[in-house]
Amino acid sequence: MIEVKNLYKRYHTHNHRSTDWVLHDVDFTLPKGVSLGVIGRNGVGKSTLLRLIGGVDHPDRGQVIRHCRVSWPIGVTGGFQGSMTGLQNLKFLARIHGYAHDLQAVIDFVQDFTELGKALNAPVKTYSSGMRSRLAFGLSLAFDFDVYLSDEATATGDAAFKAKAQQVFQERLGQASVIMVSHSEDILRELCQAGLWLRKGEKPIWFDDIADGLNAYNDSVKQSKNTPVKQRKAAA
Amino acid sequence: MSAGVRPPWKVTWSVWHALFMREVLARTTGDRMGWFWMLGEPIAFIVIMVSIRSFLGRSRDIAGADFIVWLMIGLSGFFMVRDAIQRGMTAIASNQALFAYRQIKPVDALFVRSATELALQTVVLLILLGLALLTDINALPDDPLGVFSLWCSLWLLGLGCALIVSVVVRLVPDIQHLVKMMMLPLLLISGVIFPLHNLPHSILEYLLYNPILHGLELLRLHFFDGYQAVQGVSLEYLWRWILITLALGLALHARFELRLKAK
Repeated sequence: MIEVKNLYKRYHTHNHRSTDWVLHDVDFTLPKGVSLGVIGRNGVGKSTLLRLIGGVDHPDRGQVIRHCRVSWPIGVTGGFQGSMTGLQNLKFLARIHGYAHDLQAVIDFVQDFTELGKALNAPVKTYSSGMRSRLAFGLSLAFDFDVYLSDEATATGDAAFKAKAQQVFQERLGQASVIMVSHSEDILRELCQAGLWLRKGEKPIWFDDIADGLNAYNDSVKQSKNTPVKQRKAAA
Repeated sequence: MSAGVRPPWKVTWSVWHALFMREVLARTTGDRMGWFWMLGEPIAFIVIMVSIRSFLGRSRDIAGADFIVWLMIGLSGFFMVRDAIQRGMTAIASNQALFAYRQIKPVDALFVRSATELALQTVVLLILLGLALLTDINALPDDPLGVFSLWCSLWLLGLGCALIVSVVVRLVPDIQHLVKMMMLPLLLISGVIFPLHNLPHSILEYLLYNPILHGLELLRLHFFDGYQAVQGVSLEYLWRWILITLALGLALHARFELRLKAK
């Protein structure tokens, strides 16, 4: 179970000016075993919400309470130490997540999954971006979490590898659930039960059924498409 | 399937373990001469100071202590505090990438760095004393337990200062130069390389505000049975500094945690 309580987030520019609220009073409780799809237009804070839930970033107000093991956003490559080898980074993460005694099992999984071979013993800073994202994917899936955080926008990789990651991921979903940001409706419909629609400057709407959420979201997109640009500006 | 949420102490413990392994690896393999200089710096210092002293024709002995061993202890003790502060200054910046994982807090980086420092400096001190023993200098402590407790007290003082400095340097980066500049004068007024016993009381009065001087003199007092320490050193004063710096340092870390994590 994850409780998200009255979450507010905004960013600050270098001259200490604040931007508008990126997240404005986001409030929901995700029950155990339910997968959530987060939908909304570009720039409404979907990735930000995921970062806050994963604890990578901190809210300005409100809090996130995790009653279970939550992953960091899958495929994020920012947490690597460039001067260390892939294997050293891997061991480090395994120790942090309490796998100090099963190091070998984690190493085997990542070796097998990422197909990096000897490159695993080279410093991460020598990796291509494709190799980095493979390693990042492999590491995210190497540990058992109750809730995985998946962000389509930040996770990159070539198509074949993505398909492989997808497959492993779906096998996991038997025991674990996911909070997912994606623009692909098919994937959302397939993997998620509940939906959260984030809207700019308005309170987000929770849907118990992701299908309802997608329908409502699509309607709103169509509506704004039908309104001529000039008129919309006048209304604003 | 995972066995639910781990208790906080367990998370902290695995973070410390992971950071420690990483730190040791970085220190020993990171730069090739790292190990050499850890030993090389104090040895070079000792050789230079001893030759200067014999060149000046002073006696090698200090009341109740062998000069070389006296110097060794002072230097290792001082280097431990100095390195704790200097490495603490960069601890947060060099672990920045890791704060992407919510389990790791800036204060963990500080703790682990200074624990590593304690381990390495202890090894260095033991090697130095061993070398001295091999050259027929009596370098065995008269009160090992007392030496050990003072050694740990000095480490805690270094940790407390490092906690404070690490936050201050992140908030006001220019302070970094000031801290580095202060280290040499601090070496001189802490009674590391020449004894302060003969200084007039009016000067000593001010020098005794420096807690490192207290720590080093007390350390030597436990090492040599008949040693005459500088008048006015007290364990209570040293520990007052330790407790205050630790409390202030931890408070600063608690208050500015988010600011420290931000890139």
